[in-house]
Amino acid sequence: MKERVLKVGKPVPLIGVVTEPQAFDPERAAVIVLNSGIMHHVGACRLSVKITREVASKGLLAARFDYSGIGDSEPRRGTESFEEVSLKECAEVMDYLERTRGVKRFILAGLCSGADAAYNTALEDKRVIAIAQIDAFCYVTPRYHLEYYRPILFRRKRWASFLNRIWGKVARRSPGKPPTDSAALDPEYFEVPTYTRVFPPREQVARGLSRLTARGVRMYVNFTGGEPSYRYQGQYRASFPEVAFGDLLTVDYYPHTNHIITQPRYQREIVSNITSWVVDVDERSPALAQPIP
Amino acid sequence: MNPMFFGQSESPLYGLYHSPQSSSRNEGVVLCYPFGQEYMRAHRAFRQLALLLTKKGYHVLRFDFRGTGDSSGSMDDVEAEHWLRDIDDAVAELRETASVDRVSVVGLRLGALFAAHACSRRTDIARLVVWDPVLSGELYEKELLEEIATDAPSEYEVSHGNEMAGDGTLHFNGFSMSARFRESIKGLSLMDSIPSSVPKLLHVVSVETDQVSQLRAAWRAHPGYRYQYAPAPHDWNEVDDFGGILLPQAVIQAIVNWLEAQQRP
Repeated sequence: MKERVLKVGKPVPLIGVVTEPQAFDPERAAVIVLNSGIMHHVGACRLSVKITREVASKGLLAARFDYSGIGDSEPRRGTESFEEVSLKECAEVMDYLERTRGVKRFILAGLCSGADAAYNTALEDKRVIAIAQIDAFCYVTPRYHLEYYRPILFRRKRWASFLNRIWGKVARRSPGKPPTDSAALDPEYFEVPTYTRVFPPREQVARGLSRLTARGVRMYVNFTGGEPSYRYQGQYRASFPEVAFGDLLTVDYYPHTNHIITQPRYQREIVSNITSWVVDVDERSPALAQPIP
Repeated sequence: MNPMFFGQSESPLYGLYHSPQSSSRNEGVVLCYPFGQEYMRAHRAFRQLALLLTKKGYHVLRFDFRGTGDSSGSMDDVEAEHWLRDIDDAVAELRETASVDRVSVVGLRLGALFAAHACSRRTDIARLVVWDPVLSGELYEKELLEEIATDAPSEYEVSHGNEMAGDGTLHFNGFSMSARFRESIKGLSLMDSIPSSVPKLLHVVSVETDQVSQLRAAWRAHPGYRYQYAPAPHDWNEVDDFGGILLPQAVIQAIVNWLEAQQRP
C-alpha cells in the first residue's frame, strides 16, 4: 500500500490523499470517502484514514479529499450551495481518478453530511455503483415511537427517578436540578458547520432511492445510537415501503455507539464491515450495475 | 498550499507547505499539532495561523505526527522518540523546500511538549512558541484519567468508550495511546527542561491555571522568555457530535504579533 497526495483542479485545487493497493487493477472499483461536516479529510476519529487504508489492503484504490473551503482545500469562488458544489467536486475527483488511473466504477462513503453527499452524487453520476452511509437520511415509523418510549416505560430506575423528581418538587417546592452547563465553550472561539443538515421530504428520498435501485446501485446504510431519528434495525427499510430494495440494501444498526464513533470497538467493527461490503460489491457489481437507457 | 509526504520512506509524514504571500523572509515556521480530538479541533486554527504567517512572508510547514492524521502508521507502533524525530524531519524538510536559514517552531498542547523537547536537542532553532502547553507526559495522562473518572456517561447517554484498557492502552474521545507511547512520554516534562539553546521563547496561553504559573516560574530564568495571556476560553479536548472546531483568534494573533515583533530592529 502506498499513499500519495491528491491535488485536483486549478486554480484552487481540491486536496486529499490517494491510497494505492499493492497490486492495482483499474477494472476494480475505487472508494472515495467524503467529508463529514467541517471535519477535514482525516475523518471523525481518523475514520476516513482507517477505511481507505483497510480498503486498499484488500486491493482497491481509495481516496479521501476535502471539498473546497473545508480542511486543506481552499475556498473557491461562487454562489452555489454545498449540495451543488459537492456534486461537481466529487465528480472532479472521479474524473481525475478515471483519467490518471483508469478507474471507471466508484463506491462513495460518508458519515452524516458525507452520507448525504454520497447519496446526492450517486443520483447524478452513473459511475457510482454503490454507496456506504453512516447516519443517512432517515424517517420515523410507527414502531419508532414504540422503540423510543419502550426503555422509558419499562425501566424501573427511570420510573423511580421520575417519581423522585415529582415528589421532590411537591414536598420541597424544589426548583429542580439546575440545567447542565453546556456552555463551557465560548461561542466567539467555537465554530460549527455552516452546512445545515435538513432531511428532504421522505417521498423525495423514496423517489431517489427507487432511481438508485433501478440502476442497481448497492447501498450499505449504517446507523449509530447518535442518530436521534433512528431506533431499530429494520427502520430504514420500513420507512421506505414503496422502494423495491431487494438485496441491494444492507442495513446495520449500532445503538451503543455515538455519531462520531469514538469507541474503538465500534470503529474497528464499522471499518471492517464497510470494507467487507465494499469488496463484496466490487466482486458482484459488474453483472449487476445496469446502464441507464 | 502544497501538500506532500516527506521524511523517512518507511514512515512518511503528511505535511502542508504554505509559501509566503508577501515578500519572502529567510525564515520558516514548523507547526506541531496536538493529539487526539484536540488535533481535530485545532486543524482549522493551524491553517489560519499558517495563512496569517504567510501573509507576513514566512514559509510554513504544518504536519501530522506519525500514527496521526494522514501520516503513516497507527499509534500502536509509535513512541515519543519517533515524534521527536518527526519534528527533526519537518525542520529539515522546510529548510530544503523553502531554502531558508532560520527555522522557528510552534507547538500546541502535546505538540508543544514535543516541540520544546525537540528544540532542546538542537542548536539551530531561532524561536519557539509553546501554546497552551501540556506540562509533562505524566500530567497529560493524569488529566485524561481524571476526565474519564469524572465524566462518566449518564444512563441516557452513549459512552464515549473512554477507558484504560487491560493492555494499557488509554482510549480517550475516539483516539488511543498505546501503553508503549504512554510510557515513552512519561519522561517528557517542560518543568525540568528549559530549551536553553533556543534564543527566544513565547509561552502563550488562552486560559490561566496553576500549571501555567508553575511553568512561568520555571522558565522565567531564560533571558529570551516571554509570557502572554490571550484570553480565549475553550476546551481543546471537548468532544461533540458535529465536529465543532476552535478558532482562538486572540492566541493566533498573539503568536503572529510576537513573531513579527521579534523581526523589528
